[in-house]
Amino acid sequence: MAKGDKKNEWKEFFWNPRTREFCGRTASSWGLIFLFYLAFYIFLAGMFILTMYVMLLTLDDNKPTYQDRLATPGLMIRPKGEEMEIIYAKENTESWDTHVQALNSFLSPYNDSVQEQKNYACKPDQYFKQEDSDSVKNNPKRSCQFRRSILEDCSGLTDRYYGYDEGKPCIIIKLNRVIGMLPGKDGQAPSISCAPKIDDTDKMGEVAYFPRNGTFNLMYFPYYGKKAQVNYSQPLVAIKFLNITLNTEINVECKIIANNIPNLNERDKFAGRVSFKLRINSRN
Amino acid sequence: MRYSTSITKGLSSTFAQEVLERDGPNELKPPKGTPEYVKFARQLAGGLQCLMWVAAVICFIAFGIEISKGEISGYDDLYLAITLIAVVVVTGCFGYYQEFKSTNIIASFKNLVPQQALVIRDGQKNQINANLLVVGDLVEIKGGDRVPADIRVITSQGCKVPNIQNTPRTHPILFRSTVWLSGTERICECMFPCKELEKETLQSVYFPPLQVCLSLTAKRLARKNCVVKNLEAVETLGSTSVLCSDKTGTLTQNRMTVAHLWFDNMIHAADTTEDQSGQSFDQSSETWRALGRVASLCNRAVFKPNQETVPIPKRIVVGDASETALLKFTELTIGNIIDYRGRFKKICEVPFNSTNKFQLSIHELEDPLDLRYLLVMKGAPERILERCSTILIKGQELPLDEQWKEAFQTAYMDLGGLGERVLGFCHIYLNEKEFPRGYTFDTDEMNFTTSGLCFAGLISMIDPPRATVPDAVMKCRTAGIRVVMVTGDHPITARAIAANVGIISEGSETVEDIATRLRIPVEQVKKSDARACVINGGQLKDMTSDELDDALRNHPEMVFARTSPQQKLIIVESCQRLGSIVAVTGDGVNDSPALKKADIGIAMGIAGSDAAKNAADMILLDDNFASIVTGVEQGRLIFDNLKKSIAYTLTKNIPELTPYLIYITVSVPLPLGCITILFIELATDIFPSVSLAYEKAESDIMHLKPRNPRRDRLVNEALAVYSYFQIGMMCFTDYFTAMAQEGWFPLLCVGLRSQWEDVRLQDLQDSYGQEWTYSQRLYQEYTCYTVFFVSIEVCQIADVLIRKTRRLSAFQQGFFRLVLFQLCLGNLLCYCPGMPNIFNFMPIRVQWWFVPLPYGILIFVYDEIRKLAVRRHPGSKYHTYFVKLFVHSLIFFFGHHWDKTVSWLC
Repeated sequence: MAKGDKKNEWKEFFWNPRTREFCGRTASSWGLIFLFYLAFYIFLAGMFILTMYVMLLTLDDNKPTYQDRLATPGLMIRPKGEEMEIIYAKENTESWDTHVQALNSFLSPYNDSVQEQKNYACKPDQYFKQEDSDSVKNNPKRSCQFRRSILEDCSGLTDRYYGYDEGKPCIIIKLNRVIGMLPGKDGQAPSISCAPKIDDTDKMGEVAYFPRNGTFNLMYFPYYGKKAQVNYSQPLVAIKFLNITLNTEINVECKIIANNIPNLNERDKFAGRVSFKLRINSRN
Repeated sequence: MRYSTSITKGLSSTFAQEVLERDGPNELKPPKGTPEYVKFARQLAGGLQCLMWVAAVICFIAFGIEISKGEISGYDDLYLAITLIAVVVVTGCFGYYQEFKSTNIIASFKNLVPQQALVIRDGQKNQINANLLVVGDLVEIKGGDRVPADIRVITSQGCKVPNIQNTPRTHPILFRSTVWLSGTERICECMFPCKELEKETLQSVYFPPLQVCLSLTAKRLARKNCVVKNLEAVETLGSTSVLCSDKTGTLTQNRMTVAHLWFDNMIHAADTTEDQSGQSFDQSSETWRALGRVASLCNRAVFKPNQETVPIPKRIVVGDASETALLKFTELTIGNIIDYRGRFKKICEVPFNSTNKFQLSIHELEDPLDLRYLLVMKGAPERILERCSTILIKGQELPLDEQWKEAFQTAYMDLGGLGERVLGFCHIYLNEKEFPRGYTFDTDEMNFTTSGLCFAGLISMIDPPRATVPDAVMKCRTAGIRVVMVTGDHPITARAIAANVGIISEGSETVEDIATRLRIPVEQVKKSDARACVINGGQLKDMTSDELDDALRNHPEMVFARTSPQQKLIIVESCQRLGSIVAVTGDGVNDSPALKKADIGIAMGIAGSDAAKNAADMILLDDNFASIVTGVEQGRLIFDNLKKSIAYTLTKNIPELTPYLIYITVSVPLPLGCITILFIELATDIFPSVSLAYEKAESDIMHLKPRNPRRDRLVNEALAVYSYFQIGMMCFTDYFTAMAQEGWFPLLCVGLRSQWEDVRLQDLQDSYGQEWTYSQRLYQEYTCYTVFFVSIEVCQIADVLIRKTRRLSAFQQGFFRLVLFQLCLGNLLCYCPGMPNIFNFMPIRVQWWFVPLPYGILIFVYDEIRKLAVRRHPGSKYHTYFVKLFVHSLIFFFGHHWDKTVSWLC
């Protein structure tokens, strides 16, 4: 009895034919509510978009407001390999071909012809500053040439396989772009230095740096952002392992040496340094 | 007799004591409760808690795997696991404590209203607590009592009980807790105060925080003399819109008290306050001395012995109500009446009877040399006046001419119109010669002068209203609660009291009043002109329910006089038909149906019968009307606080949920981390949500109409709307600001998630072409967490500010404590060293604290305007929508302005 009542009550609540109410409201009431909420949400969305828009207006196109996280620029290698591991067998072409391909495509924008066509031959060993005057923006900004040939043995021009086939592989190291960063101090250019991680110096053998001393020339700094400096070519340093011990896993760590870049951040293993695993297998 | 008891004398108290020691008290064993550790374990093993345990275990496993691998990249998993466990344990303890407290509170209520039993021991009747009964005790039960133990009925008259199983027996057995419906007091014998298990009666149907709130309120109420029997009564009480109250004992003090005197052709007011704090009248007149003497001597009432220490108004008197009133009055004004009576030796007396309508006694005089007898007489004023030929004015006997008779008549009418019971007093010194010492007065023959007496004055009595009642009625009136008086008393008395306490307000007229004023027949008066209406039981009997509804609708001030308890039920039903939430007071057995029918039945703790207490939802320990109003106030307060609390919970949950929704649907970098959420839940939230539930009443809580429980739900749409989106938006604005200012524009963020979270990607480009390592991105993410956290904090502050006072402006209640707490906590988490790696909080730029602030201020401004509107136009139905529209257009302009401010700030 009571159950039936309850059921009827629900039924009536859902659709009351007497008052023509659906879920306790008439059609016009529902309509009003729907309209109100529609308007309300449109208004809220509009307001959100507006505030976001105004917030974006406050931003500078060429320079981020803050660079709190980028005090130490990251270092990265090419080829990346899987999980920063470069493992291949020198006799097995397929095992290193992907690395060679990666290097080829990475270096193609650095072809001398492209660089000479797009970029400017700057005066080396000094910052290439192109500041804006007070009112006039000095845009677009020119970029300095970084010709592939600077990398010599690791340029892939003389040695198509970057030494991978001989067991003397090249690894290219790049410094993450950070707007306005001026690494080095007192005219001293920042440089890369690589060392084995644990005591296997003898296993790593000799290393050659290109360009000489593994430096990033000062003329490539500062960076003005991708909008102002469209053709910016990031400077590179290549290292070539000349007589690495075969069939052994070697942990290599490369650091940037610049007197204004701290490279010891315990938490971030890629800030100012990069480490990777290298293993070249060989049958003999 | 079995059980070695005597049918007339009962047990001896010493024997009863022995049996009590042997058998233990007559109590039902409480059911075996759940062990405490199980209760605690239950708190730790709720649905959400289990989920958190699983999460913690997974974290531990993940950490274990990392250790076994030999490379510990971070302690994040360990921290998270520990935090999770801490959360579960802390909330578990909190929940357990709350449950413990509320169970205790409810349990303690049982002892507030102990059951009493009238037991016969040593041949004397004694009132004792029912748990002291023993086997073989004789108990006397009257209608409305609850049977105190399992009993065998020995003698009874017209006994009626609801569920008697073994009626045919000569001595039927009744089990305890049966309600004795009717039948005069009869003697029963306790059979076996058995120890069966009590069923668990109080079951909570509420979710825990609500339960805690309600039980705390119930506790608060108990302290104010309202014992709530079921918790939901607290909440219903708050929405009460009609209060049907008894007169005697609830609105009044339930004792006749001398209110006025008329002598020397003047009406003097006596002090009727409960504590004798009022003004007394001029007692210097000779007439007063004569009147006082008559009142003291012509009175058979006496104080029960051994009450010297008790204040006079509270002493127990043997005698009828008016005599009691006169005795106490004379005791207060003249002093030591017993002694006084001793000085005037009583020779004979004629007690009051309904044909004479007077009472007289003859006394010797105080002065032994004066050998006259003094005859004193009191009775119905008109009868007394008939017998008088003179009147005492300023100590002098004047002939009682027409002028004096008219004066008497006026005074008599005036006092009668006040609803007071008026008595006339007269005396005469009997002629010494005619009635010498030793004269035999024959009270049957009346062989003495009973006419030509000297009129001394009138004394009128009333059961005065309780001192606190007029205020309470006024409070009800402002709170939109209608007070209807339902009494068995005479209409004039009822009306007088109603007018006295404000149920009928000053200037209100009944239909009859208007008819007399305008000198037109009653039928011609427009009913809607009369605010007040007095209906007596006879009229009520002839009314159809429609007519009664009409009467209740047309006259806001209603008094029902000369009603029977059955008619109370009719009145309650009629009120409910009109859509009111009705509270009803009652004390007698016959009130039970009305108490049950009412939304809130209120039984009297002192005067109430067990049956009434059984049927009621609430018991008034002091029988005082004012306590009900306190109850209403508390009920409203709890509803208000719960509403605030729930709205607050809702508003904070949405901004906590939206980050995940946006994260999943739009694939932005995660705006809010797990540990951050835990911090919001545990640290920043506990204080505000708890403080909201324990909030004091807003001062206008009793100035609002009762809420309509059908429409006014705990969470209404309006609340949900602006909490959901505005606050979510506010947090996201802050999040996107923090991202964009560091180089990640909103459009870039959309869909960025998979790259952003790629551990191998150490050179992800931002909107400016800068390259970020994974770790740098992670810390940026932490920054976002912190920014989001701060936004939520700001929203919490704004929110608590507006929730705390749903109607009153926040500035009217000071609580910047809360703001301080939030700010300190936020600052500690943001700027304490080590936080980034332990709790994922980053020191954020000061500006980001202020990004959500204007939004917070907007919420605040918006709400203040809404409150203003609510206060200006309380109760209008659609105003919220218009106000909302208006306010949001305001926000639009404000918001626009604010954006400029931000650009200036950054």
